Amino acid sequence: MAAKDSPLKQFEIVPFSKTELGGYDISFTNSSLSMIITVAVITLFLTLTVNPRSLVPSRMQLVSELMYNFIATLLSDTVGDNGKKYFPFVFSLFMFVLIGNMVGMVPYQFTFTSHIIVTFALAAIVFIGTTILGFANHGIKFFSFFYIPGVPFYMHPLLIPIEVISYLSRPISLSVRLFANMLAGHTLLKVFAGFVVAMPFFTGVFPLVFIVALTGLEILIAFLQAYVFAILTCLYINDAYHLH
Amino acid sequence: MVDEDKLKELKDRIETAKSSNTPNIKKNKESGAGFGFKISTEIIAALVVGVGIGLIVDKYLGTKPFGLIIFFIFGALAGFLNVYRVMRRIEKQ
Repeated sequence: MAAKDSPLKQFEIVPFSKTELGGYDISFTNSSLSMIITVAVITLFLTLTVNPRSLVPSRMQLVSELMYNFIATLLSDTVGDNGKKYFPFVFSLFMFVLIGNMVGMVPYQFTFTSHIIVTFALAAIVFIGTTILGFANHGIKFFSFFYIPGVPFYMHPLLIPIEVISYLSRPISLSVRLFANMLAGHTLLKVFAGFVVAMPFFTGVFPLVFIVALTGLEILIAFLQAYVFAILTCLYINDAYHLH
Repeated sequence: MVDEDKLKELKDRIETAKSSNTPNIKKNKESGAGFGFKISTEIIAALVVGVGIGLIVDKYLGTKPFGLIIFFIFGALAGFLNVYRVMRRIEKQ
């Protein structure tokens, strides 16, 4: 198979014009375009559907309200009363990942969540934010997060580094999970799409049927990963409030 | 009264239908592959951090290869700890 037909070609970043600022490449790429489309879709959808503010909601208004409720209950279930303050943050994060994944499901559209630098930036925001929150709430006592009570004292030199590494691994596992799921799913779709053309006679129908099923699964994964991202953010915010 | 009996019967049927329906939905929520994926990312992430700290320690303290070895082991243990926590969270649900 020629390089230009590679199933990984869809993840290639294509700059529309070369722009440099202070030695850094800040070109507007297909990834940036995809993000702008995502933000535009979210903003337009939410403002237009909620704008009528009818007491008996229309179908589309109901969808917006369902999304609001979904995150609101998620926050109150995991964080409790303290969680209300973080609703805007978690909701924007959830919507950005969810609609980003969905925009990526449209054929010929770029999936920006399939790049680890994007998901890692999101996860780093969550990680740094919750760490600052933890220090703001508990001050220097936040370090006792790494100290497990009820363990013999000679175990602590072993346990504290393990706890610290476990804490530092949070943004990595958070970002890798989202990125790898999207990357694997989209690559798989492309590989099977290649089979449709490559197989002789009518047998190409079978991979085609499989792709249809796989697209459904991908949409489920797109939603599930956005949900996992949101729920883990909630759990980390909760950890910043309640040490152990 | 006949009506009341009927109502009660209907209520019972609704209850049984509800109780038989809900566990099925919960069971299908997560596939085996998704579960395995979650576990493996936890281990890999902790190992990456462990190895990273080990390499940094070696570079600045000049303790090659011991920093890497020790923090690799710490990373692996942290990975198991992460997996244990994920399992406990799933069990709670």
